[in-house]
Amino acid sequence: MQRTNKRSKVLYILYIAVLFVFFYLPIVVTMVFSFNSSKSLTHMTGFSFRWYERLINDGSIMKAVYVSLTVALFATVISTILGTITAIGLSKNKKIVKDVIMNINNITIMSPDIVTAIGLMILFSSIMMAKGYMTMLLAHIAFCTPYVVTAVYPKVRQLDPAIADAAMDLGATPFQALIKVIIPMLKDGIYAGILLAFTMSFDDFVISYFVTGNGVENISIIVYNMTKRTNPTINALSTIVILTIAILIVISKLVPSVLRKHMKKLLAVAGVLLVGLAIFAGTRSGGRTLRIYNAGEYIDPELIEEFEAEYDCKVVYETFDSNESMYTKIKSGAEYDILIPSDYMIERLIKEEFLQPVNWNNIPNAKGLNKEIMGMPYDPDNTYSVPYFVGTVGILYDTTIVDEKDLSEGWELLRDEKYKGQVYMYDSERDSFMIALKANGYSMNTEDYGEIEEAYRWLIEQRDSMDVVYAGDDVIDNMISGNKALAVVYSGDGAYIMVENENMDYFEPEQGTNEWCDAMVMTKDCRDEELAEAFMNYMLDPEVAERNSVFVGYTSPVSCVADTLAATEFEGISAYVPNFGAPKNEAFGYQEMKLKQHFADLWTKVKAY
Amino acid sequence: MKHYNKLVRPYLIWSVLIILVPIIMIVLYSVTTGGNALVNISFTLKNFTKIGEPIYLEVLKKSLVLGFVSVSICLVLGYILAYFITKFKDSVQDLLILLVTIPMWINTLLRTYAWISLLSDNGLINSFLGLFGMDAKTFMYTDFAVVIGLVSDILPFMVIPIHTSIRKIDRSLIEAAQDLGADKVQTFMKVTLKMSIPGVINGVMMTFLLSISTFVIPKLLGGGQYMLIGNLIENQFISVGNWNFGSAISIILTAIILIGLTLMKKFDRDDREEELERAKNK
Repeated sequence: MQRTNKRSKVLYILYIAVLFVFFYLPIVVTMVFSFNSSKSLTHMTGFSFRWYERLINDGSIMKAVYVSLTVALFATVISTILGTITAIGLSKNKKIVKDVIMNINNITIMSPDIVTAIGLMILFSSIMMAKGYMTMLLAHIAFCTPYVVTAVYPKVRQLDPAIADAAMDLGATPFQALIKVIIPMLKDGIYAGILLAFTMSFDDFVISYFVTGNGVENISIIVYNMTKRTNPTINALSTIVILTIAILIVISKLVPSVLRKHMKKLLAVAGVLLVGLAIFAGTRSGGRTLRIYNAGEYIDPELIEEFEAEYDCKVVYETFDSNESMYTKIKSGAEYDILIPSDYMIERLIKEEFLQPVNWNNIPNAKGLNKEIMGMPYDPDNTYSVPYFVGTVGILYDTTIVDEKDLSEGWELLRDEKYKGQVYMYDSERDSFMIALKANGYSMNTEDYGEIEEAYRWLIEQRDSMDVVYAGDDVIDNMISGNKALAVVYSGDGAYIMVENENMDYFEPEQGTNEWCDAMVMTKDCRDEELAEAFMNYMLDPEVAERNSVFVGYTSPVSCVADTLAATEFEGISAYVPNFGAPKNEAFGYQEMKLKQHFADLWTKVKAY
Repeated sequence: MKHYNKLVRPYLIWSVLIILVPIIMIVLYSVTTGGNALVNISFTLKNFTKIGEPIYLEVLKKSLVLGFVSVSICLVLGYILAYFITKFKDSVQDLLILLVTIPMWINTLLRTYAWISLLSDNGLINSFLGLFGMDAKTFMYTDFAVVIGLVSDILPFMVIPIHTSIRKIDRSLIEAAQDLGADKVQTFMKVTLKMSIPGVINGVMMTFLLSISTFVIPKLLGGGQYMLIGNLIENQFISVGNWNFGSAISIILTAIILIGLTLMKKFDRDDREEELERAKNK
């Protein structure tokens, strides 16, 4: 080391510093935005602690932190032990055993998360294991252990085989030799394995998402389902995580001897505490429960708490990020009492017999529902569905850039080369084809392959001439920041954006658009129909519906609430008042598998180029 | 050390139950049709031939190119970083490596959101460039954004194994090389680089795996039109609901990765054997 001269040391430090900026820039940004006064994650509007307050008051996030931490700790401990002994045993085995294990290992590491996730989900469903904390933990051990083996095994290979023999010649039992000699020599590898396992587990999203259930969610799941309504609460959480790690590092640097001396005791105490907590969390109080599955950030959480207090019950509330992922979960055996999907998905669930009829006599508040949104084609007599939020699809435009006169172009505005590079399409197969079909004057539920082909061409031409971006829910934040001039949005998202950015306005083209309705439905698995119907009735109570609508920004199906809010809270926000019943509007219908597959293939071709 | 060969048994049983069985189920899905209903199941290879269509081959190619580019960038940046870190004294090294690991504890999705706010048209980097009178550039929804996001996510997985393997190189070997007249470059090429190959291979494997199967980062930073093989699989399982085709693509992806890794391992082994032989000859 003495040979290292000063000049090269400066170079080293400089290089390391530059890369650390690269590593930490996003983290610093995350921390800074945790103090943002508005909801935006891209635009700093002022300083506030409101997200920290919300974090502390948000029970579901605190629970998720607990789940993430304990699952990561248990999974790390178990997979480290399992992985290390396997790695040690491995080098002493016949080639065939070695190859089998190494290959199984590699396959797990190499399979895309989504494949592992689906595989495990099918497994847990087929052995009828209740999804929740236990399945999540098992899955985490399953994907962490191979990493530990991979980290430790190279160290075992470098080990001198004579060492263990020497220890045993000197009178050590094989177990003592293992603990006192071999494992200490593998310390670096084990340490790397621990780090890897913990990191992988703590950060995992896809696998956890598929194997969990019964209201058990980790941080990643909460974040992912928040994408619809991102807000800095999670940034506040990350800031706390980072600071905690930093403090731990400082403490361990300042008092290393103390820590080292009491390490074992500390670990033991922590372990006992965790086990206790896990058991505590696992036990659930008796009484009535209602299991609800809703889109992320699609309810005012206070309303759930008030419902629990009023009906003396426990609500197990879980969220999904799209109708399709909800369907995948239901199909694979997840059980809920109430679902809140969209119209076309409800139609599919009805056809595939997942739902049971609602007894409208138990929902007196239904009298307040807007008549225009009842009896839509997906459920003509509303046998199964109780409307939750309603709206349309339209174009959100920046009034400072888009010429009012151009609005008469309707959907063709999205192909007006004046606005090249200024367009966000919505990354949804059905909505995009709806636009293209309507622009060509066809029904959005057409089954005519010629018409579909024309719509496909429309989308291809638009893609090539306009440089469009197919954005997901990130479009909300992007439009609040004013990144582009035009975007296809749901009316509710439009209203939300317009509240945050006053330059934006919303319109529905005259060629017709999609009228949609998200509704509450009761599954066949429902264990407490009375409570489920009480919840549906509760959500339609004018006062409750008003608070929910203000919180989420979507249009309430309760007439008096929608009217009041349009004149007060959402005054001047055109997107809050979608134009229902416009002559060419339609609702999505059910698609047979073959047609669905055809659309999916075409949509893949539109997007992948 | 024969005593320890039974230690693999728990894992053997465990892995058959919780790793092998699900894989067999996925293989079953890939060679059948009839959706998820077991009633009208029938065997077919159609799911595999479908991947031969130009559009899917294009997706495959794009994923491989992106994987190759990000792994190469990680290798260069990561090797240099790992090498420079080993130039410091032990306690500083531990601290630096810890600092490399910390970002991995912050949720990937969140870090990707942070990149969006940095890279967007009205974002922080463009505001910064604006201070110097430069025009705003479009970073978001380009290859550049996806590569940046991906590299910042997977770089630690390259740095850590390489650092571990350089660190444990016996100092006396390097000194011996220098005493025997090797200059700095020679010492580095013949000793340090050569002996760090296992770490490099580990790092390349990890980053390759992570980059080729990613789907959240391209979705957020590249937009919906940034279709990679991971997105295609996710699409088939979640949006389209065609588990059979999704399983077939997963198997193809797994096969590609297996081949890639076997080649890398073979390279590693040949290298080792060559060394051993040379040692013997001496």
